[in-house]
Amino acid sequence: MSNYWPWWAGALGLAAVTISYTVSTDRSFGVSSAWDRVLHWRDERRVERMEAQFTDDRALTEALAAATAEHFGTRTGAPVPPYPAAADAQTPTQVVEPTTSTRDSTTTPRPAPLVSQAALLLSILLGGWLAAVTAGRFDLRLDMGDGFREIVTDSPPQMIGALFVGGVLVGFGTRLAGGCSSGHGLNGCGRLHPDSIIATAVFFGAAVLVSFLLWKVV
Amino acid sequence: MRTRGGLLLANIVAGLALGYTVANIGFGDYAELNRMFTFQDLRMLGAFAGGVALVVVVFALIRVRRTPGRIHAGVIPGAVLFGGGWALSGGCPAIPIIQAASGYLPALVTIVGIVVGTRLCRWANAKYFHLDVGSCGR
Repeated sequence: MSNYWPWWAGALGLAAVTISYTVSTDRSFGVSSAWDRVLHWRDERRVERMEAQFTDDRALTEALAAATAEHFGTRTGAPVPPYPAAADAQTPTQVVEPTTSTRDSTTTPRPAPLVSQAALLLSILLGGWLAAVTAGRFDLRLDMGDGFREIVTDSPPQMIGALFVGGVLVGFGTRLAGGCSSGHGLNGCGRLHPDSIIATAVFFGAAVLVSFLLWKVV
Repeated sequence: MRTRGGLLLANIVAGLALGYTVANIGFGDYAELNRMFTFQDLRMLGAFAGGVALVVVVFALIRVRRTPGRIHAGVIPGAVLFGGGWALSGGCPAIPIIQAASGYLPALVTIVGIVVGTRLCRWANAKYFHLDVGSCGR
């Protein structure tokens, strides 16, 4: 129990993950949206295909425009006003407007491809397993530990019920709020997004309230 | 790193590091989590709050692009449900994965709950809430 990291090491670790991801990809990551997209993979693949097609069409139009400009010599001499393609390189997320307009891509970045979000969830599994094994904490068991038994319930059926209900609340709540402790808490608060600051304060407050109830009352 | 392959690599690295870090902080341990939320032990609170504070400072220093903020209707009710569910089950959407990876098999039930809740949210939003972008998947 005492072989957990000190607070500063945890803070450095969480910050390093968030910052390096943002710097290298110019995006935010969120575990709950990864869940959401992976669980709706059929819909998401359809949207991805549509966006790919749309991008191809745009690329074709731009190539034609560039060829025309070259042919008529408008490109020589004076600098050409920046093509949308140049803006693409800097803000790849703001340009593609899906035809169905289900996604507001002018305000929110286009999400990472589906495959990479499935990879995020699997990597979390692998990273968690590596941590447990290397710290000697891996232990295959049918309960949730002494803490859960003392604070919530010691009956297995009630444990299953509490975990399921809690899981549904987490799944439903994070998607309704548009993010979880990684998307809102780390990435969103880091960008000082008002939505995320409110969400983090509220979910933390609610968790404090319920934890006190479980600890002192139930 | 903005190509498909680059993003895939970034997500794998982030997932591995996040799983490793969150597990070593102790978020998968229900007793530690309850002690954090009841302020009996400030270690994990310091890790989370300190992490957020560091990200805020560094993002400000390197001028990370800010997406325009708009508060949407689902944030407060969603966050209340999420906070309650986290305190009860011990799982934010990443933690049950880490608990299962540490050998806590009942965490699979929490994962099933998250699957049901996530799908329920998108379905309910399309059918009843009709909330705008940012809620329930869109």
